Amino acid sequence: MMANQSFLASLNPAIKLLAHFFVMFLLMAISDPMVTFLVWVLSVLIGMILGGWRMIYLLKRLLPYIGFFVLTFWMMAAFGEGDDRIWQWGWFYMTVESMNHGLTIALRMLGFVTYGLLFTSTTDITLFIMSLIHQCKLPPKWAYGLLVGFRFIPLFKSELNQMKIAHRVRGYKQTNRWKAFMRYALPLFTQGIRKSERIAIAMEARGFTGTRDRTYYQTTKIVLKDWMYLFSLLLIVLGIVIFVG
Amino acid sequence: MAMFLGCKELSVRFYHRSENVLTQINLAIHKGEKVLVLGPSGSGKSTLISTLAGIIPEHVEAEVNGEVFRRKAVGVMFQDPDSQFCMLHVDEEIAFSLENQSIPRDEMDTIIADLMVKVGLNIDKKTPIEALSGGMKQRLALACLLALEPEVLFFDEPTAQLDPEGREGIFALLRQIGEETNQTMIVVEHVLDGCIEWMDRVIIMNEHGQIMGDGEPAEMLRLFSNQMQEAGIWRPKVYPEKWDDVVRNPSHPLAINLSKKLELKRLEETQYGNNDVVIQTEQVEIGYGKKTIVEDINVTIHKGEWVSIVGQNGSGKSTFLQSLLRLVASQKGNVHIQDVELKKWSERDLYEQAGFVFQNPEWQFITDTVFEEVAFGGRQRNWPEELIQEKTKQLLQEFSLESYHDVHPFTLSLGQKRRLSVATMLWFDQALLLLDEPTFGQDEKTAQELLKRLKERQEQGTTIIMVTHDMDVVDDFSDQVILFHNGRVTYQGTPTGLFSDQTRLHESAIIPPLHYKLMHERKEFISV
Repeated sequence: MMANQSFLASLNPAIKLLAHFFVMFLLMAISDPMVTFLVWVLSVLIGMILGGWRMIYLLKRLLPYIGFFVLTFWMMAAFGEGDDRIWQWGWFYMTVESMNHGLTIALRMLGFVTYGLLFTSTTDITLFIMSLIHQCKLPPKWAYGLLVGFRFIPLFKSELNQMKIAHRVRGYKQTNRWKAFMRYALPLFTQGIRKSERIAIAMEARGFTGTRDRTYYQTTKIVLKDWMYLFSLLLIVLGIVIFVG
Repeated sequence: MAMFLGCKELSVRFYHRSENVLTQINLAIHKGEKVLVLGPSGSGKSTLISTLAGIIPEHVEAEVNGEVFRRKAVGVMFQDPDSQFCMLHVDEEIAFSLENQSIPRDEMDTIIADLMVKVGLNIDKKTPIEALSGGMKQRLALACLLALEPEVLFFDEPTAQLDPEGREGIFALLRQIGEETNQTMIVVEHVLDGCIEWMDRVIIMNEHGQIMGDGEPAEMLRLFSNQMQEAGIWRPKVYPEKWDDVVRNPSHPLAINLSKKLELKRLEETQYGNNDVVIQTEQVEIGYGKKTIVEDINVTIHKGEWVSIVGQNGSGKSTFLQSLLRLVASQKGNVHIQDVELKKWSERDLYEQAGFVFQNPEWQFITDTVFEEVAFGGRQRNWPEELIQEKTKQLLQEFSLESYHDVHPFTLSLGQKRRLSVATMLWFDQALLLLDEPTFGQDEKTAQELLKRLKERQEQGTTIIMVTHDMDVVDDFSDQVILFHNGRVTYQGTPTGLFSDQTRLHESAIIPPLHYKLMHERKEFISV
């Protein structure tokens, strides 16, 4: 999670997340494929205009989901029930109802992914956590713990990679996925526990108590434009639901 | 007068252990004193400074008896540069120290900027911490401690995970800060070069957690030389002599010794490359993803040679080593091993011919006991049981691990783990052994022992290729050195050739062994 230079990146993370959650919630309640499609198009437009997305970035990120989209659509549409038959071949049986149903589900999935991406691609992780402290009243103890955990992810990745190579030299053949997982997990976890213990001691030795009795280098505030983004997004989505649906 | 810092009759015991880690320690440290704590591993050096710093018993539980006199504001620096930080960027990390003390936000920016200058971090304050080198990380760690305005600074092996260049930088910085601010400093270290010169006092502990000696550095060094060797402490190469004197005075005993060594080295120098070629690379290019790190690598390695690969961090030497055995794909070029193209080797045959020892031994352990760990190669190929037993025993003996054969590999000590990881790579009597910084972070005793074993193997005909930062190892053992610098191989030849070339040493930031350093500096001294 890294911020870019866009308008969306300048918004308060907590409010942005709230706004996107609202839209996702509404998406769940919508059963009309046209409305779902428009709400998805809206997310793409926001990404392009306010989120600093380029066409290439968008295609790269969404391409893997297109396959998923087709699959979801096919599963829902081709084995559906209903009377208005459009097309039939062998045991595939597509009706108007099932097609609508398939489109809604597949587009809903796509909408979720795009709104999620809209958040993660424009939000700085540290600011997001700070916003959880300031706006969502998360205790610093948990918030800083989350941050430390976040630092571990790339570390884990590179260690796992090295370990796989190291095992290969020894002629270790992965016979069973579960066994291989256990093999790699033990050293990774022991290392992880040792590291986190050391970090905890280092943090406490530097005066970290986990209480709210501290100042903040980075403070996130809610300003007018945050509310404006939240409400205009909601209004537009509701507008689509009412006028199109 | 109240004691500044110290303890009376201090004993410490961890709840899960029956014996004391520290026994009956009496210690008084004065303001502004620089104290070095030495001792074998397990002698409680870290426990002592943790107790004086208040980490024990406040953050780590233990039974503490006796009186401890602490200061309120202290800073502790730990050895692992990666496990001291909790934020993602440099400025946030320093600010974390300030936030904890409730320093107002509008004062933070100036304090952060000042501290970064003070510790020599000349980088953008928004730099991600993971992009820093080990030495830079330790500088940042120091800035975070200075932000606490400590009365005492504690250091728990601050350079154990750094390369020699990083170590030299950190020691120089600590010395400078110590002198400028008259800061009290308590240091635990096992490398003395670069830090003992500015210490006021040395404390030596024994394996029972008692103070064995306490006094002037030079005297302690003289009195406890044997104990230090036994404890695996890297003793200083020059101290208590002064390097300037050695350079100026050709009849200085140390100068004579070094000159002799250099003379011997020159006589000994034989041409390498008389044997058959084992590895040949043609225009190999390596990198991560789309980025190329080193291009146009053409090296030849002959049978039975000891080859050292050197270069700064991130110069691509480890990646190159891995690419020789196909562990990472090279981007271009060809590698031939024993005249067969690398691509044509089957995995099974390749790793019977060549072993690879990784930086972290734990990555390579596959089984649950030391014995099975060594025997793994034979078991995989269904060798007869007697043969496996015999061969494993012999290898365990060679690496002094026979009394640990039923122990889980993870419970071994650092040095034992390293030896085990080498032993597992010699099951097939591999003709080629590749090692990635095998002596890194090890104490002197363990390192020397390992090098001795490798030397024996080499004499039996094994070819050894080793990435290392230790120039003494390069000089003492290798026939050929390959230097990586700025995306190229800039030197290939004898160690003497490399260490005699002052401009090359300078551009690739290599600190040569003392006898070459003396040669260069004497030249300069005479020409001045």
